[in-house]
Amino acid sequence: MLEYLWLVPALPLAGFFALFVTEGRLPDKIVAVIGAGSVGLAALVALGAGMEFVESGEASYAQVLWTWMAVGTFTPSITLYLDPLSLVMTGVITGVGFLIHLYATGYMWKDHEEPEGLSRFFAYMNLFVFAMLMLVLGDNLLVLFLGWEGVGLCSYLLIGFYHRDPENGYAARKAFVVTRVGDTLMAIGLFLLFRELGSLDIQTALGDAGGLDAGMATAIGLLLLGGAVGKSAQVPLQTWLPDAMAGPTPVSALIHAATMVTAGVYLIARMKGIYDLAPIAQLAVAIVGLVTLFISSFTALTQTDIKRILAYSTMSQIGYMFMALGVGAWSAGIFHLMTHAFFKALLFLASGSVILALHHEQDITKMGGLWRKLPVPFASMLIGSIALVAVPLTSGFYSKDAILLTAWEHDTGPWFWAGGVLAALMTALYTTRMMVVAFLGETKTESHDASRINMWGPLVVLAMLSIGGGWLTFSVLDDLLGAIDHIPHTHPAALVTVVLPLLGILLGYFVFSGRMNVNSLVESSLGGALRRFWQSGWAFDWVYDRAFVKPFLWVARVNKGDVVDLLFRITAAVTRGLHHIGALTQTGRLRWYAANMAIGLIVVVLIVASV
Amino acid sequence: MILFVVILALLAAGVVAWASERLSKDAPRLVSIVAFGAGLIWSAALWLDGADAGGLYAAMDWPWIARFGIHLALEMDGLSLLMVALTMFLGIVAVVSSWDEIESGHGFFQFNILWVMAGVVGVFTAMDLLLFFFFWEVMLIPMYLLIAIWGHEEKAYASMKFFLFTQISGLLMLFAILALVYVHHGATGEITFSYKALLGTEIDPRIATWLMLGFFVAFATKLPSVPVHTWLPDAHTQAPTAGSVILAGILLKTGAYGIIRFAVPLFPEASADFALWAMLLGTVSILYGGAMAFSQSDFKRLVAYSSIAHMGFILLGVYAFNELGMQGAIVTMVAHGFSTAALFMMAGAIQQRLHTREMSEMGGLWTHAPRMGTMTLFFVIASVGMPGLGNFVGEFLALLGAFQENWLMAVVATAGIVVAAVYGLYLMQRSFQGTPNPDIASMRDFGLREMSVMAAMMAGLVWVGIYPQHVLELSNATIQTLGVLP
Repeated sequence: MLEYLWLVPALPLAGFFALFVTEGRLPDKIVAVIGAGSVGLAALVALGAGMEFVESGEASYAQVLWTWMAVGTFTPSITLYLDPLSLVMTGVITGVGFLIHLYATGYMWKDHEEPEGLSRFFAYMNLFVFAMLMLVLGDNLLVLFLGWEGVGLCSYLLIGFYHRDPENGYAARKAFVVTRVGDTLMAIGLFLLFRELGSLDIQTALGDAGGLDAGMATAIGLLLLGGAVGKSAQVPLQTWLPDAMAGPTPVSALIHAATMVTAGVYLIARMKGIYDLAPIAQLAVAIVGLVTLFISSFTALTQTDIKRILAYSTMSQIGYMFMALGVGAWSAGIFHLMTHAFFKALLFLASGSVILALHHEQDITKMGGLWRKLPVPFASMLIGSIALVAVPLTSGFYSKDAILLTAWEHDTGPWFWAGGVLAALMTALYTTRMMVVAFLGETKTESHDASRINMWGPLVVLAMLSIGGGWLTFSVLDDLLGAIDHIPHTHPAALVTVVLPLLGILLGYFVFSGRMNVNSLVESSLGGALRRFWQSGWAFDWVYDRAFVKPFLWVARVNKGDVVDLLFRITAAVTRGLHHIGALTQTGRLRWYAANMAIGLIVVVLIVASV
Repeated sequence: MILFVVILALLAAGVVAWASERLSKDAPRLVSIVAFGAGLIWSAALWLDGADAGGLYAAMDWPWIARFGIHLALEMDGLSLLMVALTMFLGIVAVVSSWDEIESGHGFFQFNILWVMAGVVGVFTAMDLLLFFFFWEVMLIPMYLLIAIWGHEEKAYASMKFFLFTQISGLLMLFAILALVYVHHGATGEITFSYKALLGTEIDPRIATWLMLGFFVAFATKLPSVPVHTWLPDAHTQAPTAGSVILAGILLKTGAYGIIRFAVPLFPEASADFALWAMLLGTVSILYGGAMAFSQSDFKRLVAYSSIAHMGFILLGVYAFNELGMQGAIVTMVAHGFSTAALFMMAGAIQQRLHTREMSEMGGLWTHAPRMGTMTLFFVIASVGMPGLGNFVGEFLALLGAFQENWLMAVVATAGIVVAAVYGLYLMQRSFQGTPNPDIASMRDFGLREMSVMAAMMAGLVWVGIYPQHVLELSNATIQTLGVLP
């Protein structure tokens, strides 16, 4: 199967192409078969190729397709490169991706504005899967960049899928432009990398990276981090992700939880060789992760829209992954990427079922008591939640603990561990709040669950993965990124790490079910101000609006007429003025001409005489 | 010989098209299509045949005014072939894009299109400076007429502005040509306008700088670069669709071509000293053009300003003086030809259907015309610089090349890709997305004729985007022989 590796990205691309050229004229059933089927087949091929790869025992497998362009020594080739890291990513993208596509065949069935909407939706989704696969399989940073921009494009298209509402368009453009700021930094990183190492081939460049001086390595590391921060919605480029929830829920699950937003984590892990040489850049990765983790978990506590809660939660979980890479827990970071893909996709899809059952109600304060009416979504949400909170024995527990217990031993002291554990407590609080407010208590709305097997089937599979995904012994990455190696669970710090989230659940349950009255705290002036501050996402949007958006709009408004043109308009006006003055002398009166002639003659004579 | 025949054939086709109007109003445009189609097939045949040992696909050299050493010297190397093929292709696009737009003077309209393109082919192949200048003027007059006769509300102003900018800057070039010939005569005692003879002329560096500037200003005006760009938004906006397609698709490229073929090789040292300023102009064009594009409320004017931004990458790439930058500039010429021609065609199609170019009067057009929406989306994405499509290859190479020479300039210019996203997506939003405008009951979508042209341009962009090697090989032959690279 390994020689058919090219089929893995080619199948979704073919799906896209088929849907694109038929312009939505295919019946919806066939659209669904093409849309989900192409990704399903890709998953099967990936599985076969992956098994053969693991059996072969080789460290990597490369499949050269063609030389993209050749200019002098710049000869990036389109090569697929399979190693344990890209194998894990490919598995997540095609596997989880297929489940989400399958779910979407139910969710989107009636949920589009135009007759050809379903076709357009799956065309974009398939294109996304293709781009995401190129991102992780590309052996050259330029090919990676192709995937990188491609997933950004599909994210834009799908956030704005319901294009009649201008707010969705705004959210889509915001996502594209903000991430493009990061992409620009990344592009500059590529220019620098090429100048220093003479190649954008990842393996070649990393092989030669030893020759880089520390300053250059740091610069490259920080520039690539800039790209990662944009795509993975980390501080300071995180502001687009909550708005991106305007897209259909399967999109949020696939792009804004399981795959695209983890591309930054992949990029940094892939470029480990650079960060090994640049401890400052690596520390910056950890700090970005910790800060994001902190900011977003507090914000999640104050949101009322179920998808925005999950969006902030995604930001914070990716913050864990960044922190993991930053503190040297490379494998654990990728491990958490995988388990997070399982349980966050589950949470999003289950919330999608809730939203559909409530006719597009997303405000948790208007839900309540749903567990009776919506047992399957409730059970799925519950399983996803305990994995998110990292309750022992769930998948999230294994991966998150591996990160935190490595962080304990970081050179700078246990600061990252302490921040991570505090955020884990917050995670427990906001997750419990979401579950208690939406599913327990009194019923407040009508609901009816219309989901069929293509919708609850994926939920069941993802639920099993969310529970059991951590029991997979995660050693495939040991050779590439180093084995998971942390303090034993008998250590006192480990005890705190495990127990604190459980306390968070208890505390959350008592507070949000009303058994413990904290109103005086919340309604105090300080409490209220803090809550509003958190709710706004720590005022990042407010600041960016004033620092960048408003000035740009102002310039655009005042300079609509192009100030440079003034130069030419003035020239033209002066010329025209001179023309009018000159024309004034043409009066047609003979006396006037004669007088002028006489005066002119006198002047000439005077000049001649004076010489 | 064949080159001369092709130019004459285009001129003759213009006359035939004009005369054929008596038969029917379709006859003139059929003549044009056949002429450009034959030209395209001919260029493809030349390409498949391959170049001779000297890297030429066709060449001729006849004495014209022997006393002054003026020759009818035409040559086609890789770069020329690339540009001529693009000319022929965009000729077809131009004719199709104005199919329903022109209401009177069908014959004379096609005459002008064919004569512009004949001039363009001459510009791309002339090997004699006076002949080059002659063709430079030949393409100006019919273009002026296209805007002045078939343009929109402010056609008189726009066409006059276009004429004056081109003419005045062209005059500077003429002075520079004559001065160069004079200097050459002083050094060798020979009067010649031959490009190859003049190539190695020894010139006093101070004089060389002025002569180089004479060429540069003419080409930078045509390109155009900030600050001599202001004719372009008016000319594009007011021109009929075919005129905009030709202007953006091919006439701007004559400026880029002139820089690559003449300004730099004739004055290598002066150009090298000037490189920093030229790169600065390119960078300013990228950012200023992008910001101006965002300011516009007129669909067509927005696209026009975006051209200024894209042309900035050409200056940046050429004056990086390395292979990467030069190839980036050339690929940008080709890719921009496709993407902008398509967007102007779209602007024309919308104006014809809604009788407005104001985006505030559009909105939600996707609902009425999903095909037009999809096409706009595609070409907007291409011009935003999406990898996999041609524009990305050009702009990435130009930036990569520029970075090797002047990293700071390249870094600032790279910010232009964020601006491109801002105005590109805003264009999409205001025209095709958002709440459908209740004043628009319906809008006819693209049919087979429009879609075939669009499909051809999409294929072109994908081709250049995922396998630009064909373009790169053609231009590489030229770049290597121009002697502009260290």
